[in-house]
Amino acid sequence: MSNTLRPYLNAVRSTLTAALCLENFASQIVEKHNVPEVESGATKEVLLNPLVVSRNENERVLIESSINSVRVSIRIKQADDIERILAHKFTRFLMMRAENFVILRRVPIKGYDISFLITNFHTEQMYKHKLVDFIIEFMEEVDKEISEMKLSLNARARIVAETYLSQFV
Amino acid sequence: MILLEPNSYVLEETLYARFTSEKHELVDITLVDFDNVIYHVQSVDGQRSLLTLSVEMKYYNEVLAYGAEEILHCEYGDYLVPVTNSQYQITLQFNLEQLPQDKAALAKHVSMLKRNVLASPFLRAFEYWESQQEGAGPLMATHYRDDEAIYVQAQQDRVTVIFSTLFKEEVDRVLGKVFLQEFVDARRQASIQNAPQVFYSSREAPLEIRHLQGLKQDESVGYVSFVLFPRHFADPEVREKTISQIQLFRDYLHYHIKCAKAYMHSRMRTRVQDFLKVINRAKPDRTTVAAEKRTATGRYFRPQFRQSASTSPQTEGGEW
Repeated sequence: MSNTLRPYLNAVRSTLTAALCLENFASQIVEKHNVPEVESGATKEVLLNPLVVSRNENERVLIESSINSVRVSIRIKQADDIERILAHKFTRFLMMRAENFVILRRVPIKGYDISFLITNFHTEQMYKHKLVDFIIEFMEEVDKEISEMKLSLNARARIVAETYLSQFV
Repeated sequence: MILLEPNSYVLEETLYARFTSEKHELVDITLVDFDNVIYHVQSVDGQRSLLTLSVEMKYYNEVLAYGAEEILHCEYGDYLVPVTNSQYQITLQFNLEQLPQDKAALAKHVSMLKRNVLASPFLRAFEYWESQQEGAGPLMATHYRDDEAIYVQAQQDRVTVIFSTLFKEEVDRVLGKVFLQEFVDARRQASIQNAPQVFYSSREAPLEIRHLQGLKQDESVGYVSFVLFPRHFADPEVREKTISQIQLFRDYLHYHIKCAKAYMHSRMRTRVQDFLKVINRAKPDRTTVAAEKRTATGRYFRPQFRQSASTSPQTEGGEW
């Protein structure tokens, strides 16, 4: 693990742990409604300051918290065309399965590749520290997966080209 | 499975099955091959022992100029009949009762039909080289797909083959670039130094065909040039092999782009499974109804800390 990744993930982990201090909060605008305040944004006084943890200009995490929900958005490193396509394919693939992931948002926040929405109901039903673990592991694995896919693509291309050209010898 | 076969396997199978069947059944089968070639195998009305194979080939009129007809006569002269339906360009007819002994060889030979027809511009170019004329030979274009073409041109000491290939999708274009770059770089390997030289350019057409009208000049088009040297076509046996190989270049490239995509897809599937496992670890395991403990008096035993305000009664067993 490179020496900038560790502090980056640690920072995200501690920020998330602190942000995941959620309680039930019914909507003050509409009676009998209970919506994630960070999404509706209708009650300004329960929103907290959003926070960006950034590793470099291409990789950053936006954590927006409120009284009953936290929104975590991740921007994945995309160095070139291939990584851009792979990251896009992969996040789209995940978001199409958002129901299974419970905390995954179907659409990312603008400027980010993938977003999670954690509400007080999630933290009540699931272990908070494991949710944080999941997000951290996700961030680690996504980078690894994308670079592995890129490597395997290059390896395949090389074998394909060599096999074809060696036919002519 | 890395390389593609020059013949159409499904056509070979179909023909062989008809050639060897005891009873002559009525057939009407349509098969497809690369580059929008369509084969239509049909038995003749009233005469069940006759089998016709009609071939629809959009670029047939182009290759006629390069001597495709002579090749057809030479290879399939005995079976060639005039075309009756204007949809098709070539028609072969087989009398199932007067077939040669080696039926498998015949089926195989017929399944090479597309390859043999498309070989005509290449053979023409190689003949031009043999005649040792001064200067470059004519530029022979074959528009084998709607927006894509093969250009073949003989020079005094070499034959240049240029493929224009179109990537319909952005993803394909990027992946195609990776593959084509490897084709260019692969020659550095010592073992394949003898392979033809490969050049690749996107947008910009190579000099040989730049004067042509109506070339597409945008991001989606790529031009791949192969430079064949006499060692690739001087020997008749090697020549046939080279032709079979080089014709399939586009199909081969696109086939492997699709394979790479399929592989990525399966990887993503396994990765999603892994992530699901991680997120499910966050859910506390709930005791099911069957596993619930009872005390000696028959009451349910349930530790108090399992209670949760927001969980539904169903997931908790609902027996309070």
